[in-house]
Amino acid sequence: MKKALSSIYIIIIMLFLYLPIFALMVLSFNEAKSMAVFTGFSLNWYVELFNSRLIMYAVVNTFTIAIISATVATIIGTAAVVGLDAMRPKTQNVILAANNIPMLNADIVTGISLMLFFLILRVPQGYMTILFAHITFSIPYVVLSVRPRMNRKTDRLFEAAMDLGASRKYAFRKVVLPELRPGILSGFLLAFTMSVDDFIITYFTKGAGINTISTIIYSQVKIGIRPSLFALSTIIFVVAFVALLIVNIKSKKQEVELVL
Amino acid sequence: MAELIRLDNISKSFGEQEVLDELSLTVYENEFVTLLGPSGCGKTTTLRIIGGFETPDKGRVYFDGQDITDLPPNQRHLNTVFQNYALFPHMNVGENIAFGLKVSGKSDQYIKDKVKYALNLVNLKGFENRQITELSGGQQQRIAMARAIVNEPRVLLLDEPLGALDLKLRQEMQYELVRLKKELGITFIYVTHDQEEALTMSDKVVVMNNGYIQQEGTPEQIYNEPENAFVADFIGDSNIVPGRMIKDKLVEIKGTEFPCIDGSAEGFEPGQPVDVVIRPEDIEIRPYGEGLFNGEIISKIFIGVHYEMLVKSEKGNFEWLLQNYDEHHVGQKIGMYVRPENIQIMKKPEFDDEKAMELDL
Ligand SMILES: Nc1ncnc2c1ncn2[C@@H]1O[C@H](COP(=O)(O)OP(=O)(O)OP(=O)(O)O)[C@@H](O)[C@H]1O
Ligand SMILES: [Mg+2]
Repeated sequence: MKKALSSIYIIIIMLFLYLPIFALMVLSFNEAKSMAVFTGFSLNWYVELFNSRLIMYAVVNTFTIAIISATVATIIGTAAVVGLDAMRPKTQNVILAANNIPMLNADIVTGISLMLFFLILRVPQGYMTILFAHITFSIPYVVLSVRPRMNRKTDRLFEAAMDLGASRKYAFRKVVLPELRPGILSGFLLAFTMSVDDFIITYFTKGAGINTISTIIYSQVKIGIRPSLFALSTIIFVVAFVALLIVNIKSKKQEVELVL
Repeated sequence: MAELIRLDNISKSFGEQEVLDELSLTVYENEFVTLLGPSGCGKTTTLRIIGGFETPDKGRVYFDGQDITDLPPNQRHLNTVFQNYALFPHMNVGENIAFGLKVSGKSDQYIKDKVKYALNLVNLKGFENRQITELSGGQQQRIAMARAIVNEPRVLLLDEPLGALDLKLRQEMQYELVRLKKELGITFIYVTHDQEEALTMSDKVVVMNNGYIQQEGTPEQIYNEPENAFVADFIGDSNIVPGRMIKDKLVEIKGTEFPCIDGSAEGFEPGQPVDVVIRPEDIEIRPYGEGLFNGEIISKIFIGVHYEMLVKSEKGNFEWLLQNYDEHHVGQKIGMYVRPENIQIMKKPEFDDEKAMELDL
């Protein structure tokens, strides 16, 4: 009885989570433009999607911005963590507190203040300003995910390498960097997803004439959303789902190897 | 013996906290020196200053007569076995051991032979391709040793290398370490807070407390002739009792006069208050009335080879700790005798760090 109840509970939760996405996927293959009735299977909306330059540009913008901003933020954030490690604990705490504030800050505040900042400096808004904004809000997340890897143990390993005659550079490359790698990787992925996901900050810093996926969907909602965007959302979801699957299977395998 | 390392008036503070205060120490070639002291007394800090990981606020460090105080760790001819081994987790055993040789640009063949030799030396033949995570604590400890000694350092620094091992393995490794040291013929500077470890392994023991050296000497000297109450107490169970010199080579303790071998020659003048150390195994049991003083056994426990007893003396009402191979009964009245050479006279402590530690039972 209890078991049955808990199964039902899980099924309900799953339905709430995945039913909407499933509906969206089904509608992306719909023949008609209807948002309610499925009239027949077709790939029309996928064709329209790939023929729409507006949407394709938005897709390219979204992913180039995500990759570049995540890469730059990862480099800056990792360098910050390494630098922090050499500081006195008190200074570290102050800087880490400053690091946390932008994450807690509402996106709307960050977005508007960045917009004002660009206006005051008379920077023309466009691709570069979005990129700059994304780098800015991603850095704290990278710091947060790399920082725990830079602990006492890492310090000791660095010292051990120096003790064995390594130069600071060599010790960093051969011993410290491999220790930080998992944090760097998850920091990069975090920054990447934050960038792809972002709407509000992008909206305030993008200026006219350029769109990302989130802003184009928003602008189309006003004039009536077309199912080609369902098709786009479906592709993005499937790609993310498959990527997640691969990562999970891989780490399962590693676990098995560790046990053996 | 030639001098190898000399610490000259080293002081070191972390913020407000003074960890080392004008510490001076000389280590000779081929010595096994142990820094012994309670947790937080500055042992690791001393070792880190020798290794180059910490710079002293004041004082100099000499290696082979040369001032190396400002030399970074990678330019010092010594290697360290770290407290938690600090093995590189993403390299296998062979790569860990080869690290130092690779850095110094040795040939592949040389490195291969040397790694093999080092693994043999620590009894882990054929472990080259194992992962660090697959090793037990004792094996990791040996790999840490191997990684340090392949570089043929003149001095090996060891920071509580056996601290994480269980008792039996620890005793085994103590023998291993002494054997290794003999085979390699290099100098060991060893840190521990375990007095037994220090006494069994070392040529010289340096007892530290609160950043000061309390006494340095051979294990026998430290055990038999502690210079102050702290050392006597830290080195083992002891009776530490206040007394007073009556005259040359006669001391009064708790109303009883004991002949001893110290006197004016050692700077103890008649009438001077002193502290006296008597080891529990040095109090001999005689029939009642036939010793120097009498008492009644108030408790007894068997601890392995011998019995440990508390005896309340008739004069002075003091509880003496005794160890004896023969069994006696609680309530029995006995006489007690101590040979003059087993009475260790010490000056009264002038500073806090020379006092016996407060027991927190
Ligand atoms: N980097 C540091 N920053 C601040 N204080 C420190 C630092 N390193 C050591 N200390 C302090 O210095 C004192 C001595 O430390 P040290 O590590 O030398 O002790 P120890 O004798 O090795 O003790 P243990 O047996 O516990 O290892 C301790 O009180 C410690 O808190
Ligand atoms: Mg220590």
